[in-house]
Amino acid sequence: MDFDDTPDEAAYRSRVRAALAEHADELVHLDAGEEAADPREQEQALRRTQRVLAEAGLVGVAWAAEHGGQGGSLAQQAIVGQELARARVPSLINHIGIGMCGPTVIAHGTPEQHERYLARLLRADDVWCQLFSEPASGSDLAALRTTAVRDGEDWVVNGQKVWTTLAHVSDFGILLARTDPDRPKHAGLTMFVLDMHAPGVTVRPLRQMGGQSDFNEVFLDDVRVPDAERLGEPGEGWRVALTTLLNERVAVGGGGNDLGLSIESLAGLAADRLPGLPAERQVLARQALGRAAVAALANRYTGYRRLTAISQGGLPGPEASAGKLAGTAAAKLVADAGVRLLGADAVFAAGPGDDGSLDGAGRWQRNQAWLPGIAIAGGTDEVLRNIIGERVLGLPPEPREDKHRAFNASGSAR
Amino acid sequence: MNFDLDTDQLDAAAGARRFFTGQAGPAQARAGLEGGPPAPGRQALADIGFLGITVAEDAGGAGGSVLDLAVVAEQAGAVLAGPSLVTAARAAVLLADQPELAAALADGSRSFCVVDGGHPALDAVGADTFLALVDGDLVVGDGDVATGQPMDATRGLGVVTLTGTRVLVPGAGDRWARARDVAVVALAAEDLGTAGKAVEVGVAYAKERQAFGRAIGSYQAVKHALVDAWVGVEQLRSLVWWAAWAADAAPEELPLAAAAAGAFAAETLERAAETCIQVHGGTGFTWEHDAHLYWRRAKVDRLLLGDTAEHQDVVAGLVLAGALS
Repeated sequence: MDFDDTPDEAAYRSRVRAALAEHADELVHLDAGEEAADPREQEQALRRTQRVLAEAGLVGVAWAAEHGGQGGSLAQQAIVGQELARARVPSLINHIGIGMCGPTVIAHGTPEQHERYLARLLRADDVWCQLFSEPASGSDLAALRTTAVRDGEDWVVNGQKVWTTLAHVSDFGILLARTDPDRPKHAGLTMFVLDMHAPGVTVRPLRQMGGQSDFNEVFLDDVRVPDAERLGEPGEGWRVALTTLLNERVAVGGGGNDLGLSIESLAGLAADRLPGLPAERQVLARQALGRAAVAALANRYTGYRRLTAISQGGLPGPEASAGKLAGTAAAKLVADAGVRLLGADAVFAAGPGDDGSLDGAGRWQRNQAWLPGIAIAGGTDEVLRNIIGERVLGLPPEPREDKHRAFNASGSAR
Repeated sequence: MNFDLDTDQLDAAAGARRFFTGQAGPAQARAGLEGGPPAPGRQALADIGFLGITVAEDAGGAGGSVLDLAVVAEQAGAVLAGPSLVTAARAAVLLADQPELAAALADGSRSFCVVDGGHPALDAVGADTFLALVDGDLVVGDGDVATGQPMDATRGLGVVTLTGTRVLVPGAGDRWARARDVAVVALAAEDLGTAGKAVEVGVAYAKERQAFGRAIGSYQAVKHALVDAWVGVEQLRSLVWWAAWAADAAPEELPLAAAAAGAFAAETLERAAETCIQVHGGTGFTWEHDAHLYWRRAKVDRLLLGDTAEHQDVVAGLVLAGALS
């Protein structure tokens, strides 16, 4: 057991660090206190950042060389992630493409699709999104209603997708649609690559509770998708989607990275704020800090166990769902402790108390308004608990009356 | 990075599981509440080498790491074994330069108890050799033990009045602090085993018990409670391994890791044990069922070697002092 880099990993890390320093002028960097970059405002700069990183060999690290990747290990990919964070380079604009869409295209696409998409995806020449959830099917994804009907060499797609992160800057998406409503819901689905610039695709940003707009609704009206853009066989869409979701599990919370503000950020705020509190408040603030730190450390070290398993060749199993579940809970404790330290100053999202300092800029309040979304996106807390309960603990599922009935005849279609 | 047990440790865990399940269990823990002896008992633990895991080889121990001990302690916790490996782990640190006493710890010829002031001490019942910190010095001696009606008889708790002590190591404050941190890690490791067992028992029952025409584990209200308890156990495992590893490989991280493990262990075991009772319904509330034995361990251990609030405060203090930067 150890937490150190192997000599190879250490050498790799210093190469990564050197590359990031060499190209620093060409990369977007987050300011102190800033948590994320807004793709809407910085789209071109973020695309350029990813292209520069790709040319330096720092994108698609664990992808096979035949797909434009570096053929490296997941441990190396984790090192790149750590070094990007250390250098305060924001998430890659195409993180959904790299984390979820690309692996799905690799696993289920044709050689022509590999050729057409993968290299451009890694360079952010094309940005990708994931068109899965719908207004009437979120957690129950397989109940989706968007249809694709065969017409000559094309499929004609109609329906609506929602919660589509990055759709507003995307060039392509992977689209899950119903192609056979007479079969049971999981059996009637097919996956496609959708050109987001095709006629009939309308993207409308949604505004989140915190005021930002990271995701969108996407309307699909008689959109023609060539059959050559199918991913996998007709009716195999659910199996293809499971590839995407498996990769999502690794991408979100699988490695124990902080899902909200880091415990180090909280420590900094506490060192600043806590000494100024009355003694009896200090006791409570210390307890909140201690509780949050313990939860965050438990999640961080559990992530190290998963990274170890992955680097030894294991696939992330359903137990990785626990990483997002526990990570969300820890992030909420951290945010809550931060807001408590701000005290009455936190009644303003930003405002009179804003002195432009690190923690006067509203980041704790913003984070607080962001976390309810984290508990929902990529598998709600409840869905994750079902996955763990059924697939790890072996508890029986709730009865699913629509599972074996033709979709058209089930309650889900109404 | 390699944050996993190695083959030897996995083998040791499997061996310890076989030993402990053959020697101890809820039945013995229940009998203890009515006056029965602790199981496996000191001599059996000494004979298989578990009291000397971290005792130096030239003192008759195995010269192993705290992580080696934690792996075994988890299995001890799963069967509510007594006496506790916490005492062995802590005494081994205190007796690092006392080969004769360390040998007596490892071979079971002396029965040790480590005393924290007036606090009820673990494994005080039947102890013949008491260790304590008095005026900054490590002392050894005899003691009078006052016991009450135990909540969890496997813990051998008693209030100790030291008699006839002599100074063993002058100026032993640092060593005492390290020994206490190691003890917190060993306690968290035992709690990990107990909590894992409580979840296992609850899950097994939820798969069998039928209500409203189906297994109760199919209902999300029951399923999710068990999942939350299980997630806690897996997260606790990570903290226990980290803290146990740090004890030998990164001593500067031990105070933070031990306090984090201690804080998390108490809450995790409590949740696991309470969930186990709740899932069993009325049966879980009976004397005959095992659930209350895990619950008793939870309610007692949460008060030993610092409670959750104290551990959280230690974590807060260390974090404020820059332990993470």
